[in-house]
Amino acid sequence: MPMYQVKPTSQGDIKIDLPTCMYKLPNIHAQPGSSCAEYPLQNGEVDPALKALEARQDEIMRKLYELKAAIDGLAKTVTTPDADMDVTTLSQTTTVPSFTGTADLDALLGKDLGALRDIVINANPASPPLSLLVLHGLLCQSYRVLSTVHVHSSVSSVPPQLLSCLGPRHTDSYSRQRFQLGFTLIWKDVPKVQMKFSTQSMCPIEGEANVARFLFRLLGSEPKDPIVATQLDSWVDTAFFQLAEGGSKERAAVLRSLNSTLGRSIWLLGHEPSLADIACACCILQDSKALSTPANVQRWLQACRNLEHFHCITPLL
Amino acid sequence: MTKEQVKGSSAEEEEQQAAQSKKALKKQQKEAEKAAKKAEKQAKLTADQQTTEEDDFAQDRYGVCVMLQSQEKLDRSLVRVCELSPDKAGQTVWVRARIHTSRAKGKQCFLVLRQQQFNVQALVAVGERASKQMVKFAANITKESIVDVEAVVQKVEQKIESCSQQDVELHIQRLFVVSQAEPRLPLQLDDAVRPEVEGEEEGRATVNQDTRLDNRVIDLRTTTSQAIFRLQSGVCQLFRDTLTKKGFVEIQTPKIISAASEGGANVFTVSYFKTSAYLAQSPQLYKQMCICADFDKVFCVGPVFRAEDSNTHRHLTEFVGLDIEMAFNYHYHEVIDSITDTMVQIFKGLRDNFQSEIQTVCKQYPSEPFKFLEPTLRLEFTEAVTLLRSAGVEMGDEEDLSTPNEKLLGRLVKEKYDTDFYVLDKYPLAVRPFYTMPDPHNPKYSNSYDMFMRGEEILSGAQRVHDAQLLTERALHHGIDLEKIKSYIDSFRYGAPPHAGGGIGLERVTMLYLGLHNVRQTSMFPRDPKRLTP
Repeated sequence: MPMYQVKPTSQGDIKIDLPTCMYKLPNIHAQPGSSCAEYPLQNGEVDPALKALEARQDEIMRKLYELKAAIDGLAKTVTTPDADMDVTTLSQTTTVPSFTGTADLDALLGKDLGALRDIVINANPASPPLSLLVLHGLLCQSYRVLSTVHVHSSVSSVPPQLLSCLGPRHTDSYSRQRFQLGFTLIWKDVPKVQMKFSTQSMCPIEGEANVARFLFRLLGSEPKDPIVATQLDSWVDTAFFQLAEGGSKERAAVLRSLNSTLGRSIWLLGHEPSLADIACACCILQDSKALSTPANVQRWLQACRNLEHFHCITPLL
Repeated sequence: MTKEQVKGSSAEEEEQQAAQSKKALKKQQKEAEKAAKKAEKQAKLTADQQTTEEDDFAQDRYGVCVMLQSQEKLDRSLVRVCELSPDKAGQTVWVRARIHTSRAKGKQCFLVLRQQQFNVQALVAVGERASKQMVKFAANITKESIVDVEAVVQKVEQKIESCSQQDVELHIQRLFVVSQAEPRLPLQLDDAVRPEVEGEEEGRATVNQDTRLDNRVIDLRTTTSQAIFRLQSGVCQLFRDTLTKKGFVEIQTPKIISAASEGGANVFTVSYFKTSAYLAQSPQLYKQMCICADFDKVFCVGPVFRAEDSNTHRHLTEFVGLDIEMAFNYHYHEVIDSITDTMVQIFKGLRDNFQSEIQTVCKQYPSEPFKFLEPTLRLEFTEAVTLLRSAGVEMGDEEDLSTPNEKLLGRLVKEKYDTDFYVLDKYPLAVRPFYTMPDPHNPKYSNSYDMFMRGEEILSGAQRVHDAQLLTERALHHGIDLEKIKSYIDSFRYGAPPHAGGGIGLERVTMLYLGLHNVRQTSMFPRDPKRLTP
C-alpha cells in the first residue's frame, strides 16, 4: 500500500539511563522502518497478489461478523427457547430507564388512587384476540398483574382452553390490593374487541389493533424513532386490516411483502421482535389456512412461536 | 238485579274505598253502570229464553252445572289449553278454562278461554250444533267464570295475535258453567296487565298497588303474576338443587326464639305462655350451631321476621330467607366462590328455562335482561370507595355505603364490567356486626362481603368469629351484654371449624332479577308495617 511518509516524531538516539539488571535489546525505534512499510517504497508499486489477499480477508471478516449477528439473534430464540426474549431485550432499542414500577404506570394511566387499575377487555369467544394474550404475557413479565377470565351471560358456553388462556391463577389473587395492574378478560357477545379502563375519563377503545397499541404502550417499549414507529404502526394496520380481514388476494400480497422484508432481517423491524411481529404473526396463526406461507415467513413464524410469551396461544390454535 | 240495587251497592263501596283515587272511583262507577246494563239485558234475555225455551233444539248442550260435589267420576280427559296446537286440528276435545272475555256478534259469540298464562279463542255460532239461545247463553256468562267446553280444534288462516295459542281456535259444541263468577269484578285483568306508560292515555285504566293486593286472588291470575311466581318457584328450586349437588344439607331452624339474635332491636315479641318470646330475625345462630355440630355445609329456606317500620319498596316485615353457612379449609373466599357460583347457577337456570316467563313480565314491566359474569366479579371495598370518590362522592374510608351510593356504585360497575351481579369484599370492621372476623393484616377491615344485584344489596355475609375468647372481646367492644349471648358464645367452646356464610331474600332476588320496582310484586301475600291482610 502506498502511503505518505512522515518524519519520526522522536529521535532514535535518545540517551536513556537504562537499568543494568536486565539484558539489553537493540532499540526498535532506531531502525529506519519495518520491512513491510519499506516494501512499496522500494519498487513504488504494490504486489496485486497481496492486494487480492487483503481484500479476501476483509470480505471473510465482514461475512463472519454478519453471521455472528444473525446467530446471536437466532440463538436467543431458536436454540434456547426459554431464554429471556422479553421486555428487557425489547427495550434495548429504546433504553427506557425505569421500565418496571408504578412511576411508569402513573404517567400512562393516571394517578394511583389506591384502587386496582383494572383493564377490562371484552372479546368474542368466536375470535380470540391472540395478540392481546401475547401482550398480556409481556405485561406479566414487567408488572404484578392480576389476570382474571370471566364469561358474560350473553355467551352460553366457552371452550375450556379459553378459560385458562391467561395462565394459572396467581397465588395472591385473593388480595386485589397487592397488584399493580388488573387484566380482566370477559368473553362476551361483542362484534369487536373492546377495552374499558376508566369509564369516567376515557371512552372505550374498540378494535384489536387499537387495544394492542394501548397495551404495548404500557410496556414502555415503543420505538422512539419516528420512522420506525411509523413502520410499526403500518405493520399493525396491515396485520389487522389486510391479513385478518382481507381477501385471499390481499393476504397473498401481504405474505409476499412479509417474505421479502424477512429476507432482509430476522424480525420485521430489525434485530428485535416488536408489536409488528406479534400482530402479524397472530393474524397469520389465527387463520388455519396459513399452510402455504413462503419460506422466510415460515421460519419467522416458527421463531415467533418459540418466544416464551407466544406459548400461551399455542393451545388456542 | 235492577239498576237501583247496583247503584246502591256501588255507593256503599264508594264509601268503603274513600281513600282511593278519583280516577279509580270514576272507573268503578262506569263499570258499575256497564254491569247494570248487562244485568238488565240478562234479565230481558232470561225472559226471552223462557218464552222461546220450548223450541230450543240444543238445550241439553249448554247450561249451568249443579255444584260439583263429586257426584260421579267421569271418565273424560281434559286437554290443557297450552297443548292446543295445529296437530290437534279436527279433533274433538274437552277443555276446562276461565272465560277471559266474551264478545257476541249477531249469530255468533267469540270467547277467549284462559288457563293460567295461556289462552285460546273459542267460537259459538248458530248452526246444527248450537242454537240461537245457546249463543245468547254463551254471551252472558260472566267473566272469570269457569266453564267446561266440548269443541272441535280448528286451524285458523290468520294468526290470532291476542292469544297465546295463535294457530288454532275452538268451535264449541257443548258449554257448561262449572263455577260462576260474580258479574262485577273488583279489578279487570286487562287493566292489571296493562304496562304503565308515561303520560297516561285517556281511558287507559291501570290498577293501583293497594287494589291489587286487596284483591290478590284475582291479581295473581294475571299472566304477569303467574310468570313472576313461577319464576320465583324456579329460584327456590335452583337454589336447592345447586346446593344439594354441592353437598349441602338442608336444615330447619326454629322461628320462635328466646333471645334476639342480632342486636336486639327490630324483633317481634310474641307472648309465650307466661313469658314472651321473639320471632327469629335470621337463622344464623342455628346455622352456626349446625356447623359446630359437624354438618359442614348447610342451607335453609324459611321465613324471617324483621320489625322494621320502614315503608320502602324493598322492605317487608316477613320474607323468605335463603341462608347458607359453610365450613371452609383455609380462606373464606372458598365460601364466597361457593355462594356466587350458586347464584350464577340460579341465574343461568332462569335464563335458560324461564325465558317465556321473563318475556311475559317484560311486556308489562319492561327492563333490561339481567347480566352476570362467571365467575362472579369480586371488588374490594377500598376500590368501591375510590370509584365513588372519582365520581364525586365524598365519603370516609370506614363509612358504610348509603343506599344511593350503592346504586351509583352499581351503575359504575355496570358501565365498566357490564354485570348486574357482583361481590364487594373487605368491609370496614366498624360497620359490621360483632361476630365478624377482623382482617388479619389490617385491623380496620374485616373478612366480610356484600353481594349486589342491579345495585341493590341482596346478601350480607362474613367469616364468623369461631373462637369464644375473641368473640367475647368483640362483643364487649360493641357493648353487648354478655349474659344475653352466653349460649351463642358457649357453642364455640368445644372446638369450632372456621366458617362463613350469608343469607339472601327470595323476594328481593326475584324482584331484582326481573327488574321490578316493588318487592310487594314478588311476595304473594306481602307483610309490611301497613298490611297484615290478606
